[in-house]
Amino acid sequence: MELTRLNRTVRNLNWAAFIALIIALGFVFFFAPVERTMGNVQRIFYFHVGSAWVGAVAFFVALLGGVFYLRQPDRKWDTVSLASVEIGLVFLSMAIAAGSIWGRPAWNTWWTWTPRLTLVTIAWLTYAAYFMLRGAIEDEERRGRFAAVYTIAAFVTIIMSYLSVRILRDIHPTVFGGTLESAQGAAEGLQDFAPGLESARMGITLTVCVIAFSLLYAAWLANRIRLQQMMEEANRLKMRVATRLQGGHE
Amino acid sequence: MNKSSSSDMTPFWTAVWSIVWKDLQIEKHTRQTLSVMIMFSLVTVVMFNFALEARLDAARNVATGLLWATILLAGTLGLNRGMALERENQTIDAILIAPISRSAIFLGKVIGITIFSLMLEAVLVVVFIIFFNKPLWRPPVLIVLVLGTIGYVAAGVLVTSMTIQTRTREVLLPVLLLPLSLPLVLAAATAVASYMFPQLPTWGEVQSPILLVIIYDILMLTAGFLTYHYVVES
Repeated sequence: MELTRLNRTVRNLNWAAFIALIIALGFVFFFAPVERTMGNVQRIFYFHVGSAWVGAVAFFVALLGGVFYLRQPDRKWDTVSLASVEIGLVFLSMAIAAGSIWGRPAWNTWWTWTPRLTLVTIAWLTYAAYFMLRGAIEDEERRGRFAAVYTIAAFVTIIMSYLSVRILRDIHPTVFGGTLESAQGAAEGLQDFAPGLESARMGITLTVCVIAFSLLYAAWLANRIRLQQMMEEANRLKMRVATRLQGGHE
Repeated sequence: MNKSSSSDMTPFWTAVWSIVWKDLQIEKHTRQTLSVMIMFSLVTVVMFNFALEARLDAARNVATGLLWATILLAGTLGLNRGMALERENQTIDAILIAPISRSAIFLGKVIGITIFSLMLEAVLVVVFIIFFNKPLWRPPVLIVLVLGTIGYVAAGVLVTSMTIQTRTREVLLPVLLLPLSLPLVLAAATAVASYMFPQLPTWGEVQSPILLVIIYDILMLTAGFLTYHYVVES
């Protein structure tokens, strides 16, 4: 019954994530400069980009878990995949919420159906459906196999949304690898409210935030995997009790 | 199968074509799938018209979106029917025993259902031209329709083969497939929409959405190719 205690890796990760988040908050509020056109609202941008980034990483980890599971049907890969999709969905929801709060002052609306926002919604729905698929299959081995195939197919939506926002025209600013598009957008006046990385301080703050969120992700992943193992352990014990009771007392 | 597999296996394309041929023959005799798909989409178009009747102009502006929505919805019917037939008649077991690669089954199914969907689209395009007065006959539009259908059906065959083996079956398919195919439809509808004006767009204007459709096709076909044998193994 080792499982009931937090093991050292999980505990260390929990602390690391906690401290990193506090440091990140400090950077966001005290180190990062006030943005010129948007003022303090822009600070939510670090939170938004951090969680969006980790969401994509989580779905990629889920994809890897799926691929490994198909190569070698070991329960642990299925657990990694499941945990990662769950956490990825939470981070994606946080990114959407933060983006929406930022969009209110920046675009004067909580929501607008531009390609990028539409695609994020689609990705969210795709990964939410993952749980529907799992719920509909009883056989454990088949559930793992189908879920693995689905994480691979679902990642196509992430790739598509990454490509679309770099190729299609959008009101949403591009932070990673979008120099061409942002130049185009700026020329057409689309990027008026782009936060942009005006100074090195903003870049540093963003990096700190991304690291902090990645640590948070790692900690959650470790905790979630442990939870899943405990659930499975509990099920095993229940089964043992049930068979014992059926077999009569000894 | 103990010996090297390649010599004992039916050649890849022979296997693919026999599966396509089989599906077409079944359809020729029963005429179930296609007629259901066409009837369903006509009802859908009428229903959309009814919803938008107050403003015909509005309906015209969203015509390309309606076209794709109708194709998607009718497509789920075709996919469910196409895969359910295999189960009901237990032909899937026979196909799995046959010495053909799983990728060939996947490709055969994709081609077969794509052909049905294209027949449906031929009808739909005429209906939309009449009802909404849009230049859907333009060759680039038809090419985008074909490309979009391939990607949609590729994702569809992969997902349907899974959902058909679950408890909730038909109910689960749209929930999984529609979000999965929306990135494709978004790009395809954007491409088609830019051809709806009297003046033809330049290649530069439509190049990016069409490129996205092709990328989606390649990604989904590859994913299906590589993972299909994990899906049909029982």
